[in-house]
This record gives sequence, C-alpha cells and structure tokens, in this order.
Amino acid sequence: MKAGRLLAWGGVIALAWLARGLALPVFLAAALAYLLSPAVAWADALAIRRSVAVGALFAVIITVLVVAGFLLGPGMVAETAALVDRLPGLARQIDVGLNAAVRELAETAPALRRLLPEGGDWVQRFVLNRGPGEPGDLFEHMGHLFLLVILVPFFAFFLLRDMHRLIALVMDRLPAQHVETSVAVWRELNGVIGRYIRGLVLDGLVVGALAALGLWAARVPYPLLLGAFAGLANVVPFVGPLLSAAAAGLVVVLTPGQGLAGVGRVVMLFLVIKVLDDTIIQPFTIGRSVHLHPALLLGSVVVGNHALGVLGMIIAVPVATVLQETVRLLLEHRRMLARRDLRGRPGRLVA
Amino acid sequence: MFEQPLPRWLAWATDPEQVRRAPFLSRSPLFTGLPRRLLARLSTRFFEKAYHPGEVVFEEGDPGRALFVVVEGAVEITRATPQGSYVLNTLGPGDAFGELALIDDFPRSATARVATPGRLLILYKSDFDALMEGHARIAVVMMRNLSRRLAIYARRQPGVMGGPGPGSETAGPL
Repeated sequence: MKAGRLLAWGGVIALAWLARGLALPVFLAAALAYLLSPAVAWADALAIRRSVAVGALFAVIITVLVVAGFLLGPGMVAETAALVDRLPGLARQIDVGLNAAVRELAETAPALRRLLPEGGDWVQRFVLNRGPGEPGDLFEHMGHLFLLVILVPFFAFFLLRDMHRLIALVMDRLPAQHVETSVAVWRELNGVIGRYIRGLVLDGLVVGALAALGLWAARVPYPLLLGAFAGLANVVPFVGPLLSAAAAGLVVVLTPGQGLAGVGRVVMLFLVIKVLDDTIIQPFTIGRSVHLHPALLLGSVVVGNHALGVLGMIIAVPVATVLQETVRLLLEHRRMLARRDLRGRPGRLVA
Repeated sequence: MFEQPLPRWLAWATDPEQVRRAPFLSRSPLFTGLPRRLLARLSTRFFEKAYHPGEVVFEEGDPGRALFVVVEGAVEITRATPQGSYVLNTLGPGDAFGELALIDDFPRSATARVATPGRLLILYKSDFDALMEGHARIAVVMMRNLSRRLAIYARRQPGVMGGPGPGSETAGPL
C-alpha cells in the first residue's frame, strides 16, 4: 500500500516535470479565469449552465477584441511600424550621445578610464542584434507565442467550466473533520488572489489609458504604444512605472523640437499618474486585498526577479501575500486549538 | 396554476443543481425573507459535500469558519459534560447549524456528527463576507433571522431572560 502510494506520487512528480513547459500557459490561464470568474458567478446565480455561460462569455470577449482591434489596431500598427522604421536612427542617436558622454567623462577623470566600458554602439548592438539569427529561431518564437495565444484561453475555458466539479471531487475525498478549516483557508486565499488579479488588471487599464491620454495631450509621439506599455508595465511593482516613464522620456529626448521642457512634462505626467494610482486608483481597484509591509513587498519583488525574472516580479506580490495569509490563518488556527486544549477537550461522543 | 415545462433549449441551458438549490434554501428558517435574486446569488457560494454516518462535521471547541445546511440525512448536535456527552438535537433536511461562525470567531459550542448518510451545504465565512459587501440586504435579513433564533434559545435557557429551570437545555445557534 505504502509502496503503491510512493509510486503514484513519483509518477505525479515525473509527469509534472515533463509538463513543466505548460506552467506559464496554466499560470496565465488561471489568472484569466480569476479575472472572468465574477461574470461566471453572476451567470450561476441566474441558473445558467456553466458550459453555456462560459461559452457565451468567450464569444463576447472575442467580439470585443475584434471590435477593439478594428478601432485601435490601425493606430497601434502604424505607431509600431513608424517606431520600427525609426529604430536604427534612434539607436544611432543614443549611441552618439552615450559615446560623447563616456569620452567626456574619461577626459575629465582619467582615473575612471579603466572602469568605463569600451567599444561604443551599445544600444545599436542591444536593439538591432536582438532579432532571431536563424529562420528556425523565428519559427520557434512564433510557435511559443501561438501556443500561448491558443493554450491560455483553452485552459481558462476548462478551468472556468469544470473547476466547481474538481472542487466537489476534492471535498468529497477530504476527511470530514478537516473540511471546514482546510477549505476555509483555501477560500480566503482564493478571495485574496482573485481580488488582487482583478484589481491589478483594472489598475493597469486605468493607468494605461491615463498615460496614453496624457502623452497625447503633451504631443509626445506614439501615445497609444507608450500608454499600452505603461499599462502592461504597471503590473511589475516599483520597476514598471519607472520603465514606462523612462521609455516615454527617451522618445521625447529623441524627438526634435521637444527639448528638456518635453522631458519635464513627461516626468511630471508620470509622477501625477503614480500619485493618483497610489492614492485613488489602487484603493478602489486592488483595495484591501494586499496587506504586505513595504519592506516585504520590495523584498518579494527582488527575490521574484532573482528567481524568475520579469514573471517572478509580477507574481512576487500575490505569492508573498498568499504565504503571509496562510501563515496568519494557520497561526490563528493553532491559537484557537491551544485555547480549546487549555479549557479541556470534550470527551468522545456517546452514539 | 399548473407549471408549464421549459422549452427544450431552455431546459438544456439551465443548471439543474442551481434550480434545485435556491428553492431548497428558501425553505430554511435562516434564509426566510431573502428575495429570490439574492437567494440565487447566495446559493452559488455554497459547497456541497457527502458525509458517511458517524463522521464528525466539527467538534466542540473547534474554530468555527462555516455554516452548514442539511440537504439529506440527519445530523446530531451533542455537547460534552463531566458526566458524558448527550444529544441536544437532531437536525434534518433544511435545518442549518454552525451559523455563529458567520458572525464571530469563537470556537464551536457543541459537536455535530452525521447520524445517517447525507449531504451538507457549506457556506464559508469569507464567501459570506464577500457577498455581504455588495448586498447589505442579505446581512440584514440573515441577522434578523439569526436574532430570532437567539431570542428563542435565550428564552429557553435557565437563568437567561427568566427562562425555564435546569434540565431544559436545547440546541441553540452553534
């Protein structure tokens, strides 16, 4: 019996290892499922069958995406094409500026000469040599992207449709006496993760829209592209807002006629958006779902970056929150059990 | 008025579990007075679990985190005394127990054990709280029903509001 169980666990672990490539699509699908779950709960209350509700929801999402593609797509494509065309020139301009600065620094402080990088053309090498070298690489990148686009909605569909059945199956197999506490802990964590993910997406949308509007008003080129980038980067705590402000600032620096005043306007715009985000938008969107101490928040982001890069930075806050909540709930449970044992545990029941 | 069967396509698009659950809950005294729309929203938050005879749902002193409603079978509510345990009440389909977990963090005041094979609906405090944030009416109606149960219990208890004497202890809210 014990050997059989060990073998089964070994099989599960081996299977998980073989399927590790699916971790990212499953993670993104779970996030999408959390995002859409309130709509499914609303349909549940109307006694609509899950498969019908989830199917209709996906049909609505596809329609919205198609309409948004028609409305915003041409602008985004034009901005991207213009940026790609200008990229070699922009990279050359930045390199010229950087080379001049390094030369000047070396002349002013010869002692630093050894420490300064040599060679030049860093940005051109970084930006222009990033593309896949071989046609095979290009197909591999496209393949990964295509798999994500197909697999994420696919997994999300089945998570939304069948999760309640899976939960019922697990609950029927859990020992009766552990159901109340174990499922209660999971329900609390589920609520925290759901609120955080929905809040984060809503926050990103608002920040992205504000950035796009502000940049358009400040006559900064590529407002849609930079706004979309600001919204996406906003999911990375601390670093995201800095990156989006730096990207917009760089575009302003390289745009003739904008000058330092333009950079000042962009810095002021992103500063105002950050203050608005921290004081008004986030309390409404993410609200009280995250109670992490700022030091713990920063630490989790650093550790996340070290472990999994950008993905690690994105998931650092919810993972740290879940760990903190789990520890809090388990400690609370232990405290209550200790209180009960102090009062004297009741005797066994007489049938 | 006789009920017309639903058109086939509508019957196919309807979740039978949900159709069964909301009217069932409406018959439970704890949910009396809740509008159908809110009852439907509330019923989606319940989990259902099968229990075997003799299984303990919770023990006296356990942390309370959920409310239970009996769907099928019978549940015995017992309390331990220095002289041994005795049955306070036996609950059947439609009866709710463990409701105090929704309003405070105190340990369970009695033990609940399944007497015959059955199914229970379980509502967790975190789900109930989340629902109440958007629907204060649910909180008002349920607290009113709970207060009624507490009042009935308090009147029966010795020394509380001049109730009957010793030996009359019955199962109150848990």
